[in-house]
Parts: sequence; structure tokens; C-alpha cells
Amino acid sequence: MAFRYTLELLAGIAVIGFCALFLYTSATMSGAEFAGSDNIGSGLIAKLSGTPVENFQPLIPQWVPPSGEIEACLFALQAAVGGILVGGVFGFWLGQAHGKNMR
Amino acid sequence: MHIMEGFLPWQWCVVWWIIALPCLMLGIWQLKKVLAADREALPLLGVTGGFVFILSSLKLPSVTGSCSHPTGTGLSTISFGPWITALICAIVLLFQSMFLAHGGLSVLGANIVSMGIVGPLVGYAIYRLLKNTSLNIYITVFLVSALADMATYVTTSLELALAYPAQAGGVANSFAMFMTIFAVTQVPLAIVEGVILALVFKYIVALKPDILIRLGVFSEKQIEAARSEF
Repeated sequence: MAFRYTLELLAGIAVIGFCALFLYTSATMSGAEFAGSDNIGSGLIAKLSGTPVENFQPLIPQWVPPSGEIEACLFALQAAVGGILVGGVFGFWLGQAHGKNMR
Repeated sequence: MHIMEGFLPWQWCVVWWIIALPCLMLGIWQLKKVLAADREALPLLGVTGGFVFILSSLKLPSVTGSCSHPTGTGLSTISFGPWITALICAIVLLFQSMFLAHGGLSVLGANIVSMGIVGPLVGYAIYRLLKNTSLNIYITVFLVSALADMATYVTTSLELALAYPAQAGGVANSFAMFMTIFAVTQVPLAIVEGVILALVFKYIVALKPDILIRLGVFSEKQIEAARSEF
């Protein structure tokens, strides 16, 4: 019988490899802050334009989460919306498949 | 890949909005057409859109000592094409601009162009190229997802390089500098994203092969071959 879990195995290896790479990087790279690349990109814009980061003002006023905790909460909410959609649909499809088998 | 609010000159914001808006209109038109033809496409749209919501919210560490996020656009690109994917990305990016201060309304056009248009267009070109070959469909999904992700970050680098050319070396030098920040960080993330989305596609193939065949995503023969392997 053919092995039917090749993709699951590859996904597991990819995730473990990714984690190992992160652990190695964080242990060996001095000064690695793991800041967002968006913020580092903004820093380079400031350098190239000769304008300090704080001088860049929004062109359209923007609400900013008052703390990192609120921001993390809203990111979690975004992921939860996606999780509900994915879980709900897969559950619906699974139910349909079971219903078909029962008949 | 988010360009932050206020970090792009207004002239460039207008240029990217002008490019993004017709693509979004095309996405709305195509979505209406797809749903009118087959209402059963709606749950698939939910799953593919759901993965854009999930993956683009994950800020993951990378080998360059910084963090970035996958885009998750591969599944919807393969299932619905680049224009509907642009629409899904616009919704996610609008949420992030309004509630997370990631991106912003003036730079939304630029962010839609990178994540919702160029990334999916590159992915879609790869999909069309490989669709009718004998290559396993999961390898196609992997390549589409990983390269759409990479193309997004290359586009962000180009958008910023065009707006901020370096004094020495101009746009090319500036592009190389932004690529170091955005694209190099993204390589391991894009590979993992490709593998994960290929795995998710396997479950879609297992549970709902008929909708993929009806939408013409892959042929019945390809779907059957994929169901018996892996």
C-alpha cells in the first residue's frame, strides 16, 4: 500500500526546519531584534530621504492601537476570523461527505 | 510588505491607486460572475480567503534577524484567479490599515498592488504555465504559493525604490537595499507557506474535488491522480 502522508511529512519537516533555523539565528546572530521588516523598511526610507522617521506624518489620519497588547489582540482577531471561515467550511464539507456516505 | 501610512509621497499613492482600482472592479465583476454560475463556489471562496486572513496576520521570525508575514494568496489565485484575489487582499489590507495601523488608507493602493495584484499575477502565470503539464498538482500549488509570496515582497521593494532612489546608484541601488530587507527575509517564509498551502489543497481535493473540477482549476484526471497519490 502506498504511503499517503507524504505532504503531511513534508509540512512537518518544513515547520521543524523553520523553527530550527530561527533558534540557530537567534542564538548566533548578535543584535538580532526580530523587529518587523515593515519598520526596518521605514528606517531605510528615512535614511534614503534624509528625513527622520518621526517626521513622516500620515497623509490620511489613522487610528493607532494604544498599546502592543491591543495590537496583538486585533491581530489575533484577524486570525480568528480566518480560522472560523476555514474551520466552518471544512466542517461543512466533512458533514456533507459523511451525509453522502450514510445514504 | 506594508508600506506605512505617510511613508509614500502622495504622487506615488495616486499612481498605485490608479492601478489598483480597475483591478478591484474587475475582481467584483468576476466574483459576481463566478457566484452566479455556481453558488457552491462560495465555501471555497471562504476557505481561500480565510487563509489570507490567517497567514497575513502571522508575524514570523526569519534568518535575517527580523520578522515578516506570509501572504496566503496562493490558494485563491489558483481557485479564482488574480482579480478576485486582489479583492480578498483589499479587504484584509483595509482591516489592517484601519484597526492595526499596518499600512494606511493613502498607501492602500500600493499595498494592494504588491500583495493583491502583482503577487497573484505572478502566481497565476506559473499556474497557467504548469496547469496542463504532467507535474503533480501539489507541486504546482507549492510553486504558485511560494512565488506569489516572494513576488509580493519584490514589488514592495520596487515601489519603495521608485519613490526613494538612492543618491548613489539611483533606483537600482535603492531596490537592492529594500530587497535585502524584504525579499531575503521572505525566502524561508515563502517555502513554508508553499508547503502548508499544498497540504491544505490536498484536503480540499479530498473533500470537495467536484467544485475544483467544475471551476476548471484542474482536470478530473489530474484530481483523480492527486487523490490516489500523496
